[in-house]
Parts: sequence; structure tokens; C-alpha cells
Amino acid sequence: MLRAILVALIAATPAMARDTGRIFVSNERSHDVWVFSPDFEHIATIETSRRPRDMKLNADRTLLYVACGDDDVIEVIDVETLEIVDSIPTGPSPEVFEFSPDESLIYVSNEEDSMLEIIEVDSRIVIHDVATGAEPEGVITSEDGSTVYVTSEVADMVHVIDTEAGAVIDNIIVGTRPRRFILTPDTNELWVSAELSSEICIIDRARLEIKEVLQFLPPGFRPEDVTPVGMALTADGARGYISLGRANHVAVIDGFTHELIDYVLVGRRAWSIALTRDETLAVVVNGLSDDITLIDTASLRPIRSIPVGQVPHTVVIDD
Amino acid sequence: MRIVIIIAFALWSSIAAAQEVVSIALLGLDPDPRYDEAIAYARIENGRQGDPQIAARMAMEDLLLLTDARGVNIGFSAVRVADEAALPTATRQLADSGNRYLILDLPAKEADAVAVALGPNGPLLINTTAPEDWLRRRCHARMLHTAASDRMIADALVQHFVKMRWERVLVLHGKTDRDIARAASFAEAAARFRLRIVATREFDLSTNPALREQNNVALLTGDIREYDAVFIADSFGEFSRYLPYRTALPRPVVGATDLVPLEWHWSLERYGAPQVNSRFETAVGDSRRMTWQDWSVWIAMRALLTAEAKSLERDPNAIEAFLRSDALRLDGSKGAQLSFRPWDNQLRQPILLATANAIIGMAPLEGFLHQTNTLDSLGVDAPEFACD
Repeated sequence: MLRAILVALIAATPAMARDTGRIFVSNERSHDVWVFSPDFEHIATIETSRRPRDMKLNADRTLLYVACGDDDVIEVIDVETLEIVDSIPTGPSPEVFEFSPDESLIYVSNEEDSMLEIIEVDSRIVIHDVATGAEPEGVITSEDGSTVYVTSEVADMVHVIDTEAGAVIDNIIVGTRPRRFILTPDTNELWVSAELSSEICIIDRARLEIKEVLQFLPPGFRPEDVTPVGMALTADGARGYISLGRANHVAVIDGFTHELIDYVLVGRRAWSIALTRDETLAVVVNGLSDDITLIDTASLRPIRSIPVGQVPHTVVIDD
Repeated sequence: MRIVIIIAFALWSSIAAAQEVVSIALLGLDPDPRYDEAIAYARIENGRQGDPQIAARMAMEDLLLLTDARGVNIGFSAVRVADEAALPTATRQLADSGNRYLILDLPAKEADAVAVALGPNGPLLINTTAPEDWLRRRCHARMLHTAASDRMIADALVQHFVKMRWERVLVLHGKTDRDIARAASFAEAAARFRLRIVATREFDLSTNPALREQNNVALLTGDIREYDAVFIADSFGEFSRYLPYRTALPRPVVGATDLVPLEWHWSLERYGAPQVNSRFETAVGDSRRMTWQDWSVWIAMRALLTAEAKSLERDPNAIEAFLRSDALRLDGSKGAQLSFRPWDNQLRQPILLATANAIIGMAPLEGFLHQTNTLDSLGVDAPEFACD
């Protein structure tokens, strides 16, 4: 039924970006996705399956995929109508996922049974499971789709997975409780946030070795308060934004030299970060204060905090 | 699929230099007098629910990819002896057979005896289930502690008292050394924050009319103008389970029932704790939940494996130095970086304030600060600590 609607929808309207400018925030505890207009008016609440976490737009930005951890499903939201139009079953407790470059596959970490699951989007078939260390979390695909990187929060490592072979080909030992990734556009770096050792490990992708470790300390905080998770990078790779979790700040760094530019005060336990396409605003999700903070990227000042649902997880912007 | 991974690791491991086996043993008693079912009256949960060695094996499984990647091979064995008399021989055998680490699941007196017997050149010991403050003050150079001390447990509760402005406290305790020690630790913690202990009374489990001041709840908790809360130290749990809702003044009862400070509880929902609990429940297979003793053994094994794999050292002394340093940055799924305090070899860690099915707070509570590490607001701090 749902698929029929989806097919009909796709047939009726040529797939193209609507450029709605809408901002989507998933809320783990209230089991919904809040939708904001480009001027941050709350315009809709989409009820999802339980515990929505990571979200990704497809390439033409018509569909928003939402991993719902407690119902073992990735739901698909039409970005324009804001209806749930499809759902893709996954293994237990999907947390973070990524598409292959041609969007034919979804790579999803299953936190509960320590697997990276590879799902064929069209057929819904799990074509492969790759065993990972306990509590896999961050997932990112290389630009050419040949490699997937996955963190294991418990084993403190990044698994390097060859997608052709469907096998782990290397493991890189990083800091404590590694979480999320960023790929830099042209410096061939993989950034990994290590939440409990308060570090960003910068991996040289050619050698698969850590080449630099970044640490942050906003004024008035202690090293153990700094629990980095979310990261965002400008399209040219020139500037990075790193959320510092319990230290309630975002660190802004030079994407090439990795030098600190500034700290910006945000809400409690800052996690996910997204940039608007014109990169004038950074939107930061604050998991313990149930709000988002908007940062003006020119002045590097927080300009507004806006309430969202309970325990917000991820922000995605369609603009 | 698995085969491919195993081959990959085999290749990796063959590159790694030394292929020595690091031997770790868990030493305990069976039966352990602390969990004697005869002590508890009727089916109440008395301490732990099963052998925590499953938690040690779970930690090995959790970190297997990491230890494999570093070419660290772990050998693990669990030895349980029938009584105190059999301990010295078992201890000596474990040391002589090359165990680098002994994880102790022993009462404080027996753990102390093991440390004395092995002396300064024996394997490194980790005390996982003896919370006694006096064992810390014995200052065994080769003993670390992952069980939270009585004082840490008491400080966690006192922080909650201060936060809730429960300033006048009625303290009740049983006749056992454990209960008296717990009540004494609570009194020390209460003194630091100037809580007022309005009375300290010993309860009695009998129904002897001559002892009614001690075994009648109304009398035991009465004849006092005012108290804001009742703290009870009751390691058997038999008296305390009948105390709430029967106190002379309608006040909360905490410590051994209702609100209990613990290292771990199944209902913690954050920091990856649900995943640890579900891995444990899968591993144990008989639907029992992970207790604080299980967590304490799990974190002891995690600490050892983390130091072996992440120190980038092969020299045992250098690995041990890493284990004891701030660089350990151990993750116990309680949202904080854990490490061992140099002054008393105690693992610094958050303490949960748990009811039967919820976490009411996690100490250090917000607003309780410390000059170097807020986790050190729990337990005896460096300037106050002295060896016996």
C-alpha cells in the first residue's frame, strides 16, 4: 500500500528538489519529527515510529529518511507533503545510516547486535551484514562508494569496510567512545569525534592512520566536560563546527589548519549540527535542554534558541 | 563473512610483534557468605543474583576486536574456593601460574588477606565487590578498587539530601559490622555538608517485646519532633523492606530500600547503558539483570584490557602506569571518563540513585563541584585520606 503510494507519487511528480527551506529535527523521546519553516516557525509535527534518531535526505532532497531505533525501521517522509510515505525494515536498534552514492543501498549501524547492515533500498532485502565491534554508531561512505567507515563505541575503533568484499579490511584505534564522522572535501581526511576522551581524531585516509588529535577546552570548563559528538563542515572544507556536548559550546575551527577560531555558547549537551546551504546559519541540537540554537556564522554568536520535542537527536535542512 | 574478518585479523596479528598471552583470573568464594540465602527471610533479592564472571567474559567479548587489533591475547580463568582456609593455596597457585592480574570477588577481609599474602611483587589485584572504607585505608600498593567505597555511596546520597533540603535525618542501622560501617560512612558524609542527624538507632529483627524500642517501627521512628528523611543501613534488606509507609512521621526512607545509591542499575537509560544491559542479559541467558557487582567486574576487566590494548606499551610496568593514569579515560557507560585515584587506588565513577525501576539522580549532582574533578566530590578526597 505505502509502496504503491510512493510509486504513484514518483510517477506523478518528477523527482526534483522542492527547495522548501524546511528544517527537520528528530526527537527521540517524543517520537516525532518537528518541521520548521525557513524563518524557524514551527509548522508541523510528524509522528514517527518510536525513537527517531539519524535522518538523511536523498540526493534530490524530495525524501527524508528517519531511523527509528525502537521499532527497527527507517521511515521515509515526503519533504513537501510531510507525510510518511514508506518504511524500510532494519535489524534491531538502527541508529546512524548512510546511502551508497547511487542511493541503491543503505548502510545502517545496528546498535543492539553489533552489525553494519547493508539494505537494498528497492527490494528491502538485507543483502549483507558486517560484524562490527559492540555498539556501532557513526557511518559514512567514501565519495566513490568503495569504502564505508563505522565507529564502534565500545571497542574504540573505526572499522574500514570494503563495500565490494563486504568485509572489514582495516581497523583504526581511536579515542574513547568514538561517535561521528566528517569527510573533508579535498584534504583526504576523516574526522572522528571521540566523546569520552574529549578528542577529534583526524585520520589520513590514504594511510589509514591518525595524523592529528584535536582537543578543546572552552573557558571555565574542564577537559572531562568536553564530550564532542556532532560535526559540520562548510562545503569548501574551510571551516568546521564541532559540538562539545556537556561543555555546552560549539568549537569553530579552521578546516585546513585545524586551528581554533572561537567557541560559541549553545544549549545543554550540544550534539547534531547542520549548516544552511548558504552557510550563514549553523543549527545546533541540544539534547538535554530540548531546544535548538541558531548560530550566525559571520559573527559567531548564538542568535536564538527555539524549543523542539523531547530529547532532540538530529537536524536536517532542506534548502 | 566471519572467516574473512578472522583472516584479516590473523594477518594483522601476525604483523604484531609479541604474541604473549596476558593471563587474568577471577578469584572468589563459593558459597560466598555475603549472599547466603539463609540470611534473607523469604525470596527477597539479597545482593547479587548470580556469578559475575559472566561480566568479565562480556568485557572480553566487547573489546575483542581492540585486543585482537593490538595482538594482545587474553587468557581468562575463574576460580572459586569453598572457604577462607583454601584461599592462600589458591592465591599462590594463581600467582605462580603467571596470572598478571587477579580480579577479586571477595569479602573485604578475604581480599585483604590475599593482598597481604601476595605482597609487593604479586599480580595486580582489583577489588570488585568489597565496598569497605577500611580496605582502602589499608593502602595495598598492588590493589585497585572498582567497587565504589562506602563513603562514595554515602556522599552520593548526601548530595541528594542537600539538593532536596532534607536537613534533619534519622539514621537506622542493623547489628552487623557492615550496617554499622555504612551508617558511620553516612555520618561522615553528612557532617561534611552539615546535615543534622537527629538520632541514630539500631533496629532489631526479632519480635521480642523486651526489645520493642528497636523492633517496633512506630517506636523506633517515633519520639522525635522532626526529621526530613530516614536513612537506613541494612545489608540483609529484611528489616528495611517493611519500613517505608510505616514511619511515625510520613517521611521518605532511603539507603537500603526505596532510594538506593548503586554503581549500576538496569533502568539507566542514557550513555549507552541500555546496550550494556541488553548485551549482559543476552550473555547470561537466564533473564537476570546486571547488578552492581556485575558492572564492577565488567569495568575491572575493561580497565585491564583497555590498558593492555591502548597504552602502546609491552612492558608490564608501563602498562600498569597507564592503567593508573588519567590517560586511561575508561568508558563505563555512565557518561563520564573513569580513572583510578592515585591516593587510594579507587575508581572514580558516578553513582546512581535508583528506585526499583528508575534513576532519580546520578551523583555528582549538578552544583556539587570539586577543585580538580567533580567525580572526586564522591569519596574521601586526597587531603583527607590517610592510610591506617
